[in-house]
Amino acid sequence: MMEKVGHYWDVYKKFVSTSVSVETSFRTSFILLIFMDLFFFFSSVGSVSFIYDHVANIGPWQKDQLLFFLTFMLMIDNLHMMIFSQSFWEFSFNIKSGQLDYVILKPMNTIFSVFFRHFRASSLFNTPLFLGFLIHYGIKVNLSLFDWLMMPLFLILSLVLLILIEFILSTSMFWLTDGIGINFLRMQMQQLARWPNFIYQGFIRKVLTVLLPVLLIGSGPVHFLLDKNQWQLLATMVLVIFVLVIILNWIWKVGLRNYDSASS
Amino acid sequence: MTTGDAIKNNFSKWWITIQISWVKHTAYRLNFFLQIIGPALVFFFVKYNLWSAIYGADDSLVIKGFNFEGMINYHIWAFVVGLVAQGHGSWNLAEDIRLGRISSYLIYPFNFWEFHTASWLSFQTIQMFIAAITLGVIAFFDLLQFPGWNFFLIGVAYTLFISLFWFALQYLTGVMAFWLEETWILRVMLSVVSYFLSGAIIPLDLYPDWLVNILNYTPFPYLVYYPIKIFSGETSSLGLGLIIISIWTVVIALINHLVWKKGIKLYTAAGM
Repeated sequence: MMEKVGHYWDVYKKFVSTSVSVETSFRTSFILLIFMDLFFFFSSVGSVSFIYDHVANIGPWQKDQLLFFLTFMLMIDNLHMMIFSQSFWEFSFNIKSGQLDYVILKPMNTIFSVFFRHFRASSLFNTPLFLGFLIHYGIKVNLSLFDWLMMPLFLILSLVLLILIEFILSTSMFWLTDGIGINFLRMQMQQLARWPNFIYQGFIRKVLTVLLPVLLIGSGPVHFLLDKNQWQLLATMVLVIFVLVIILNWIWKVGLRNYDSASS
Repeated sequence: MTTGDAIKNNFSKWWITIQISWVKHTAYRLNFFLQIIGPALVFFFVKYNLWSAIYGADDSLVIKGFNFEGMINYHIWAFVVGLVAQGHGSWNLAEDIRLGRISSYLIYPFNFWEFHTASWLSFQTIQMFIAAITLGVIAFFDLLQFPGWNFFLIGVAYTLFISLFWFALQYLTGVMAFWLEETWILRVMLSVVSYFLSGAIIPLDLYPDWLVNILNYTPFPYLVYYPIKIFSGETSSLGLGLIIISIWTVVIALINHLVWKKGIKLYTAAGM
């Protein structure tokens, strides 16, 4: 088992180094990507701040609590952009062009070779800044030592849930002639998840918590961090992750069987 | 060939390109929905839920002149303005350059800009159709405050004028493909910045005064905030908006011309 993990780690290091080489050879794009992420981060934080200049609460939360939630989600976005984002776009292109043949023929787990292939180093430049904001608002909402210790685990859990949902959604590309629209659907899901669950009401909230559990991504851990009595969403999140792993393994195999190489 | 024949001939080229673009845009209907309509719908949906949570059950709450109904109306018009003015992405433009497909435009008696402008016109007609249906549905459920047809028609005309500005700007990001590997980054940057500074996310009334004073010197407020004002029955900013957007559109069109002239010298016709 450890040998297998080591092998995959070695392969991943190669994926990262080739991605960095490619990305840094287009320096203007590389720098623009950094600025794009920065604009997005500050416009999101700015919008929430401006709203709070006129209201005391949104739902049950005050400004610092919502900004802590937002910076938590933007940190997930940053990690997602860095590790996975590019691979989703390549996946739709590879299916359309038939180049997926070369990817799935490699002697590796196909999910790994499809979704872990591209690393975006430009996002790494913004990570310290985004992390700084997360820590700043974490201090403002009085997180305890236990909370700080749990934070890395929660960030990983949230990222895992987000990518599992996106992996499953992306398998629908196997059935479509051009799957690029699915990537836009993914982005809209991220937009829904970027707000706490209490802004959605009734049936919609249930759908976005259970059927398409995007609201668990941020609301699960952050509600728990802010109030230890609210552990239910976090527990649901862990359970949902296990269920989604099973669904992904099944639907991915069905999708691969349905894949009809465009080039052959 | 007489001048009349030449005009007729040119018109038929534009018309056929528009028709072909209609077919292209609607060939993958799911993709079209997910790429163009879906984001605008989700954006509106999130804003509706957010403001519902902010206003809660308090009917008397007024934020900078907006009660709940007024705020939702603002975002309905923002949705319509976004759909009509900002929908076109010029994705193909950069791809044509990067993949060497513009070689054909250098040979055909139909310019690159003419082809893409015709495509944009075709796209605009689809967007207008979608916006009309959306407004019809919203009006049917009596969710819209409608100040009058005169404001509506002025608003539509002004929004179409803004779409020309957006097209010029998108065209500029597209022709940057002569130098850049990935122009989508510029497009996303533009849309992130303009969403934030134009009042598409929250009304500019909620922004700090010092920021609004600065923004009034830029084209951003005239792209979303002031068109919404027109649709809502306030036309005092119309003249200034037209002047500012006209100046920016002309400047960007000139830059486009220069960038194209410089860029075409670098063109290597990849794949030929």
